[in-house]
Amino acid sequence: MSHSIPIAGDFLSLLAEHQLASARVDAASGPMVQTQATTVFAFHFAGGVLMAGDRRATAGNVIVTDRVEKIIEIDSTSLLAVAGVPATAFEMARVLQTSFEYYRRSQLQPLSLPARVRALARLLRDNLPMTLQGIGIVVPLFAGVDHAAAPPRPQIFFYDPLGAQFQAVGYAASGSGSGTIRSILSFQERYGQPLPSRMDLPEAVRFASRLLSTASEFDSATGGVNPATDTFATIKVLKADGVETVTEEQQKEILRG
Amino acid sequence: MTEEPYRWLEAIANRREYVGEQLKSGSPVLAASLPDGVILLGVGGGQSKVFELFDRHALAGLGHPADIEKIRQAAIDAAHIEAFTRAPEDVSLRRLVGFGLSPQLKTNFEQIFSAPFLVELLLAELGPEPAQDLFFRLHYDGSFQTQLGGAVLAASQPEPEAAGQKWLKDALQGITNRNEVAGILLQAWWCVSENKPLTDQIPAEAERKAGWREAVKGKVVEIGWLARQNARAARYQAQTISDLGL
Repeated sequence: MSHSIPIAGDFLSLLAEHQLASARVDAASGPMVQTQATTVFAFHFAGGVLMAGDRRATAGNVIVTDRVEKIIEIDSTSLLAVAGVPATAFEMARVLQTSFEYYRRSQLQPLSLPARVRALARLLRDNLPMTLQGIGIVVPLFAGVDHAAAPPRPQIFFYDPLGAQFQAVGYAASGSGSGTIRSILSFQERYGQPLPSRMDLPEAVRFASRLLSTASEFDSATGGVNPATDTFATIKVLKADGVETVTEEQQKEILRG
Repeated sequence: MTEEPYRWLEAIANRREYVGEQLKSGSPVLAASLPDGVILLGVGGGQSKVFELFDRHALAGLGHPADIEKIRQAAIDAAHIEAFTRAPEDVSLRRLVGFGLSPQLKTNFEQIFSAPFLVELLLAELGPEPAQDLFFRLHYDGSFQTQLGGAVLAASQPEPEAAGQKWLKDALQGITNRNEVAGILLQAWWCVSENKPLTDQIPAEAERKAGWREAVKGKVVEIGWLARQNARAARYQAQTISDLGL
């Protein structure tokens, strides 16, 4: 049996060499109820990029759980927000986490931001059969620090289900509640006081929580934020020097103030 | 020739001699376990002696750069495959060396028609506490020794290595400050590199300090730090002597 030589620093080709690449589903036998994760968004604020998501996963009209982490730290300079089918989305996150660290360690330099953005696009393209069958659709958001810029700054990217990538100027949202989120963010960008890009961290966290609360009023698949029941969003902040998590305790404190 | 056992033994002995000769001028590498992490240190050209392998694992080595690179890549490949197919917590130095690197090195060394690896290696695994920090001293022929905690030195020749290791054990007694430890490791590095005695006739401390400073001019002191307390999974940080105030 012949083995292809893995591309230097490319974890996916190393997996393929070891015949460990994920098995693809080529045909669907009938309609099925999928577990889906829903509303995530990211926007620029004064301190960097804030990425947030609700914590609800649904299957049809059933709430599967309200404790899903949809904002995932891929490495110290990248965040992924997953919307779509969790089974596929979390596997993509795991592949990216291992791939980026593998590249950095083996090639003795971090992967550039364009390459990181394309790595996710490649996974989405590889997932095309599942997407076309409607059983594994993932529409993620990605935020990464652009170290080629001076000074380095975080950027937001969004994708279509086929893997096309787009850079967001001010904000991006994905999932079933994203329509509401985009409308509010668009309004706030034009007429808001303060503009999202000028908000400090407490303002941005408060704004993000209110966005999710509003989205949850119009979309049953979006879990809201309710301090009374200790239900909070997942919020992470990407700055030029790394990732920070805004914990539930911090959110509670900010929302109380 | 290879059908005759005697010739085979002779060939192996010749290989040992050849490898020993090739490694003679290699610059030693060192590591030590501290309360807040593990430090690895070597002097080379920058990204040539001390490397991150995985979340809690690092490698330091001397020898032919191409061979160090091959071993490093093999270790990184194995660690990441293991982490991806099982979990990052399942990556262990024992399995990496015992079932991966060591058998490969032994096989390669004993196949007398291929070139042997010209390497002497030191591998470290950060434990939850200093007593569980694990060091592997891996040789070009696949043989290895393990050590929990303490300090380890890898040199091209066994005698200075043993002497350096013994001196380090005494010199680092009770010292927990990373900067001080790095300074002592550099003194040991200088003594072994310059063939200075590490016995009662060891040069005075002032001479050792001046010695390493002079010897590292035009070179890079490569320092790897595996931090015990760190929120992120990847614990490795590359540091410089100025980071440590040396």
